[in-house]
Amino acid sequence: MLSPYRVLDLTTERGLLCGQVLGDLGADVIKIEPPGGSPARQLGPFYHDQPHPDRSLYWWAHNRNKRGITLDIHTPEGAALLKRLVASAHFFIESENPGVLAEAGFGYADLAAMNPALVVVSITPFGQDGPKAHYAESDLIILAASGPLVLTGDDDRAPVRVSVPQGYAHASAQAAVAALVAHHERQRSGRGQHVDVSAQQATAQATQSGILAAPLGEREFLRLAGGVKMGPVVVRLVWPAKDGYVSIGFLFGSAMAHFTRRLMEWVHEEGFCDAATRDKDWVAMGALFFGAPEMIAEYERLCTIVESFSRSKTKDELLQAALQRGLLIAPLLTLDEVRASEQLAARDYWQALEHPELGHAVRYPGPFGKFSVSPIRYRRRPPTVGEHNREMYVDELGLTEAQVSELQRKGVV
Amino acid sequence: MANTLPLADVKILDLMWAIAGPASTRMLADYGATVVRVESSRRFDATRTVGPFYQGKPGGENSGLFFNMNAGKTMLTLDLAKAEGRAVLLDLVRWADVVTEAFSPKAMRGWGLDYESLRAVKPDIIMLSTCLMGQTGPMAQFAGFGNLAAAIVGFTNLAGWPDRPPAGPFGAYTDYIAPWFNASAILAALEYKRRTGQGQHIDLSQAEASLHFLSTGLLDNEINERPQLRTGNRDLNYAPHGVYPAAGADRWLAIAVTTDEQWQALCSVMDRADAARDQRFATRADRLAYQDELDDLVASWTKEQDLFQAESALQARGVPASAVRNLLELGDDPQLRARGHFVELTHPKYGTVAVEGSRFRLSRTPAQVGGSVATMGRDNQHVLETLLGYSEERITELTAAGVLE
Repeated sequence: MLSPYRVLDLTTERGLLCGQVLGDLGADVIKIEPPGGSPARQLGPFYHDQPHPDRSLYWWAHNRNKRGITLDIHTPEGAALLKRLVASAHFFIESENPGVLAEAGFGYADLAAMNPALVVVSITPFGQDGPKAHYAESDLIILAASGPLVLTGDDDRAPVRVSVPQGYAHASAQAAVAALVAHHERQRSGRGQHVDVSAQQATAQATQSGILAAPLGEREFLRLAGGVKMGPVVVRLVWPAKDGYVSIGFLFGSAMAHFTRRLMEWVHEEGFCDAATRDKDWVAMGALFFGAPEMIAEYERLCTIVESFSRSKTKDELLQAALQRGLLIAPLLTLDEVRASEQLAARDYWQALEHPELGHAVRYPGPFGKFSVSPIRYRRRPPTVGEHNREMYVDELGLTEAQVSELQRKGVV
Repeated sequence: MANTLPLADVKILDLMWAIAGPASTRMLADYGATVVRVESSRRFDATRTVGPFYQGKPGGENSGLFFNMNAGKTMLTLDLAKAEGRAVLLDLVRWADVVTEAFSPKAMRGWGLDYESLRAVKPDIIMLSTCLMGQTGPMAQFAGFGNLAAAIVGFTNLAGWPDRPPAGPFGAYTDYIAPWFNASAILAALEYKRRTGQGQHIDLSQAEASLHFLSTGLLDNEINERPQLRTGNRDLNYAPHGVYPAAGADRWLAIAVTTDEQWQALCSVMDRADAARDQRFATRADRLAYQDELDDLVASWTKEQDLFQAESALQARGVPASAVRNLLELGDDPQLRARGHFVELTHPKYGTVAVEGSRFRLSRTPAQVGGSVATMGRDNQHVLETLLGYSEERITELTAAGVLE
C-alpha cells in the first residue's frame, strides 16, 4: 500500500515500532543506525540468551520489513550522505530528545529546507515542548506520568505495569497514524510538516478517559487487582477457574443485561443460584454503577455465587460455553497458550521469517490486519548491523567500493 | 481557516461502538474527516453507561467517555432492524469512502450489509470490519470488550505480582491498542485506493493487532521457552526499577535507573555515598543481580520523601523518576496543560464539558477539536437533507415510521 514511499528511520528503542508498521504496510523503510549498531540492539532478552547485537529479541520484535544501514551523522561525510537520502525520502522518523537532531543539523527546519515535502515524525516521552519536555524517562516513567500505572495492581501494594513495556508502543503505533494523516494532506498540498508525538499523551488513552476525571468533576478511580473501584463499588473482572483464571463481564444496565441474563441462566442450570436470582432485573441492577449504594450488598452476594460457579469449571469449559451461549467470558492465557491458540492457527496468524545467519526460520506475530486486495507481507527479517550498507551506498548512491572502504576506515559507516 | 484540514475530503460511515472503534475514527475526525456515526436508541452504546461522568452524575448524555470517543462526529440515529433503515444505510454507503463496523460477522450478513453486499452498491468501498478475534476461525463469533481480548492474548496474566493472582492492566486494555492499527489500516487503504482506484475489505482482529505490543515476550517465549510471568515492576534490562512508597498514604514514586550515570546520580540525591561505591552495584549487569537489595535501599529513602519534591530532585540530576499521579492530579498536570491536552466542548445542558484534544500535533495543519458534544441523533436532519439530499417528505416519512430511532 505504501510501496512508492521511502521512510528514513532514525529512531532509538523508543520509536522502532512506527517504522515497522509503515514497513508492514509496504513502505521502503531504511533503518539508519550509528556505526556498531543501534543501542536498542543491546536490549534483552537475546536469542538463546546470548547477548549479541544481531540477536536482541527486542530488536527483532520491532525491525521487520526494514533495511538497515550504519551511518555516523555527526561526521561531515555522514551528514552529507544523510542529506542525499533526505532529498528523496518521504518520511523521516526520529525519537531523540527535543533539540538533539537540530544540533546535528537535522532539526525540522533543516530537513524542510532540504526537502519541503518531507513528513518528519518526532516521537518523544513528553512532546517537543512543555515543562517536562526534557525529563529523563523510561517505560515505567511514562506510565506513571500518564495515568495507567495508578489504575493497575493490588490495592495493598505498589501500582504495577504490564511486564512487557507498553508506553512507547502506544506512542510509536500512534505515530504511524499521525504520519499517514500528514501524508494524506501532502497529496493535496505537496508539502510536508512536523509531526510531534508525546508518549505521555498517547498512553493516556489507556485510562479509558479517566484522565478527564478532574475537568469533568468526577471522583477518583482506584486500582484493584482484577477489577476497578468506582467510588464505593468494586467491579470485579478477574475470577478464579478450576485451572487458572478467567475474565468475566458480570455487568449490568441496558447494554450489558442480556449477557448477564444468559450467564445466570447457566449458573442456575448448574444449581448455583435460585430462580429468583436468575430472574433478577439486570437492567435495573445497572443502578449499582450509577450511585445506588443500597445495591452493593446485593452485588457482593451475587459475586459470591458467580465465584463459586466459576471455580467449578475449567478455563476451556467456560470459554466453550461463552462461544455457545454468548457470554462475556475469556480465559487468562499464558503466552505459551497464546502461541498454541487454535483461533490464531486457523487464521494462519504466525509468520515464519527465514534468518539465514541462524540457518533457520523464526516465527513472528502475524499481520495486524488482513487486507483483501493488498495484504501485508513479511518481506524481510530484521536487518543485521550494516547489512544493507553496500546495497545503499554503492548500488543506490553510486559510491565506489573504495569510497565505502574509506568511510568504514574513518568509522562513518 | 488557514489550512484545509488533512482529511477534509474523507467520508466515513461509522457503525462501530464502545471504545476501540470510536477511538479510531475520533482521531480521523480531529483531522477533518466527516464521520457519520450511526447509533440506535434501542440499544445504547455501552460507553454511554460508563464513567467518568459529568459532575459524577450518570446519565445517557453525561458520559465523558462517550463525549471523548465521539467528539467531532456527525451523529445519526437509525434502526437497522427496519428495512427502511437499511435502505438509508445503503445510501450512506454510496456517499462514503470508508465503512467501519464492529458487529459480529453473522450480524452484518444477516442485515445484508456484508462486504459483498456493500461492494455491489459501491464497487470501490473500503470496509473495515473489526471485532475481538477476527472475521474467521472457530472464535469468529466471540463477542465482548477489550478486557476479554486482553485476557485471551496474555496481557491480564502479565500485570501483577508473582505471588498474587493476576491484577491485569486497567479496563478494556486492547481497546486502547486497536485504535492505532484501525486508523493506520484505514489511511493505508485510502492511499492504495487513491493510486489504484481499488477499495477493499480489511479484517482486523483486535487480538491479533494487540499481540504486536507483546512481540518481545512472544519471541522470548518461543525461542528461549521463558514462560513470561508477571514480575511486579521488575525489568529485564534495568535495576533499580520499581514503584517505591513515598510519604503519605498510598503515594508512590516510580524510578527507573537505565544507566550507570543515573545510578551514581540517584545515590548522590539519596546521600548514599556508600551505595555509590559499592562494587556490587557498579554496572547495569551487576545491579540486575541485586534487585532485592536495591529495592530495599531505594525504598528506605523514598518512604520519607514528598513524592513531587523527590521527582524534581531526581529529574534535576537526570534520573528517570515520576510521581505516580492519580487521575485527579493529572487534570492539573503542567505538561498536559502546556500541551493543550484538555479541550472544551459545548453541551446543551451543562455549558461546556472537557474532552481530550488530539494526542499528537501536526505543525502546519493542526487538529480542530471543538463544537458541541455528540448527543444522540443530533445531526439526523443534516445527514438526510444535506449529505443524502432527501426531500422533506421523505424525512417526515422516515421519522413517522420510527426509522430514525
